[in-house]
Amino acid sequence: MTQQRRVTRIAGLLVLPVTAALALAGCSSTGSGDASGGGSNSFSLTYATSNNIESPFEALAKKYMTANPDVTITLNPQPNDTYGDTLRTQLQAGNASDVIETEAGSGQTRSVLPLAKAKFLEPLGDAVKAMIPSGSESLVTLDGTVYGAPLGISYAGLIYNEAAASAAGITSFAKTENELLSQCAQATSAGKTLFVLAGATVPNAGITASIIAATRVYAETPDWNQQRLDGKVTFAASPGWKNTLETVKKLYDAGCFQAGAEGAGFDAITNGLTSGTNISFFGPVSNASQLQSAAPEQKFVAQAFPPATSSDKAFGVASPTYSLSINAASPNKDAANKFLAWVAEPEQAGLFAEVSGLLPTTGLSTMDLSTTIYAAVADQIKNGDFTPLANSDWPNASVYDALATGVQGLLTGQSTVESVLASMDTAWDQ
Amino acid sequence: MTATLPSETEAVIVPRRGGRRVRPPRRPGLLKFGYWWWALPGILMVLAIHYVATTVGGFFAFTNWTGIGEFDFVGFDNFRKILADPTKIAALGNTLFLAFGSVILSNVAGLGIAIGLNRVMKTRYILRTLFFMPVVLSPLATSYIWKFIFQFDGPVNILLRSVGLGELARPWLADPTWAIWTVLIVVVWQNTGFAMVIYMAGLASVPVEIEEAAAIDGANLWQRFWHITLPSIRPAIAIATTLGLVNGLRIFDQIMALTGGGPANATATLATEMYKQAFSLGNFGYGAALAVLLTVIILFFAVVQQRVGRGRNAED
Repeated sequence: MTQQRRVTRIAGLLVLPVTAALALAGCSSTGSGDASGGGSNSFSLTYATSNNIESPFEALAKKYMTANPDVTITLNPQPNDTYGDTLRTQLQAGNASDVIETEAGSGQTRSVLPLAKAKFLEPLGDAVKAMIPSGSESLVTLDGTVYGAPLGISYAGLIYNEAAASAAGITSFAKTENELLSQCAQATSAGKTLFVLAGATVPNAGITASIIAATRVYAETPDWNQQRLDGKVTFAASPGWKNTLETVKKLYDAGCFQAGAEGAGFDAITNGLTSGTNISFFGPVSNASQLQSAAPEQKFVAQAFPPATSSDKAFGVASPTYSLSINAASPNKDAANKFLAWVAEPEQAGLFAEVSGLLPTTGLSTMDLSTTIYAAVADQIKNGDFTPLANSDWPNASVYDALATGVQGLLTGQSTVESVLASMDTAWDQ
Repeated sequence: MTATLPSETEAVIVPRRGGRRVRPPRRPGLLKFGYWWWALPGILMVLAIHYVATTVGGFFAFTNWTGIGEFDFVGFDNFRKILADPTKIAALGNTLFLAFGSVILSNVAGLGIAIGLNRVMKTRYILRTLFFMPVVLSPLATSYIWKFIFQFDGPVNILLRSVGLGELARPWLADPTWAIWTVLIVVVWQNTGFAMVIYMAGLASVPVEIEEAAAIDGANLWQRFWHITLPSIRPAIAIATTLGLVNGLRIFDQIMALTGGGPANATATLATEMYKQAFSLGNFGYGAALAVLLTVIILFFAVVQQRVGRGRNAED
């Protein structure tokens, strides 16, 4: 009895100090993590990933750490489809990484301009001004201050597996819609499909529609977005947008997409492309370098989605997308600024582009792209026959969400072209 | 009685004789060993984390906050928008369908399994563990596995094709009609064990003598169940259905993992819409309004449930 009493008394006396010690240990470890993780030149970097293949951000960070052995960069990859939500939550809570991947423009939850307006981003130094392609300043500048450092120009189109295409008997990619539909049939008879679509994901369904819209809407009316902002046009009354959605449905009905496309995720794309079961997919062509390293026996190149007929202009999508910003609440701003200044240096100017497959931000009209994966779209790029991503100046993220959800609805039969366009207009005006 | 040895507790709090300290006054009941204000830190934490946080979130329902930056007060605009939007009404319908569907199916199945296991069997404990295991698994992790099972090239379709039912094979989670039933199957699979455990406890209190007497009098299995077993386990039914309904109205993990609210919002519920609006689309005020609406609905059903349950007990 007495022993029990003594034990309970000792236990009772120990509870308070042990709890206090645990609480203090918890507090101090989060505090010291920032300060002493390898010296004051260390910082953390967060970016979006869609698969497990090495990301170009990782490669950039490794190169920086090799060049600067006293720096440790903590990498925080996040899943791509929820990257914007996670980033906003972290910024709001105050535990976001020091350097963050953002997107130039304003149409997505990860876009630079809304985050800058909410004072979450640090103004960047003059070193990064050299990275901004001319004409795109408004995508990363707010009230004369630069908040995002564009890493390259992303060309969005078809990532096309030449090896799988020739295995299906397709030697040169279609230049008109009719040729495209017959090539779909050719691919199906060879046991493959021409396209693979992750219909259940917003990014892929949305970018598919955006790339097709480049040929059906923006080729004729490059300033369509500005007209919509001025209230001169609507999605519902736009024959180009109607044509875009009808084309998506036409491709689906012709068997151009893989079976079950309406419910597929990103894994369908990664597996299908690397195994050669599917010939191409819609997306940022920079993904090609990642896929190439994962499947060296295939050959991934860029292709443009063909216009409706041969008399229409071939048009692509290219805009500065991936950019780096600094968290305004970061305790390691000096280290982060040094990193960005390094990335802006001329030697590194092409590094991210090379490693990621993006195009460099300057000198595009004079570049010789014939030996790169952009060979098939070199003329488009040289002549400037491209438009930025459709949603880069849409007023809010709901419009793009309505588009992507609408594409999925078209494929399952739940929505009609008219209902999708109407929902996009409703989302625009909210 | 007065010559008992001092109890352990008295030995701790009652000072030794001869000390100049005043004996602390005896308080009644459980407070004998402490002071009421020892609970204050806990109470404050509950108030802060539960009530204050929820109220602040609820306040944003009356604003147009995007989640970052500044906001304006907009009164009931968000609620008007919800009621005018057919997709949100459809989401409300899905919420009620999943809630009632999961309660009814998991309770019926749980009761059936509990009755089946409520007899002496060699495998009784193993079976009980097996049926309860889904409850303790993470809903998100199991939903990803179910997603693989139901995907277009997954085991379910492979099985259907192998037995010659290939035309029934479809992308289950992307089918506008079947997606919500698939989600319901996953939810019921996970929750049946919980209902089973509650009913097993309830069945243990059913008086065996009355059942035996009824059997001797010639009542068949169904009559015995309906007139003896069921009335005796009424409290268990009340608990199981209340918990099931409140949790069913909040289902989130399974839907997000399996379909993300798709295809094209066919499986969207108030909970998933609230997340999408508040966090994915940057309409925090609108999402908060959806959350307030869901809270009101859950409160309503919880109160109704309690009233009905209490009414039944009062009858007895």
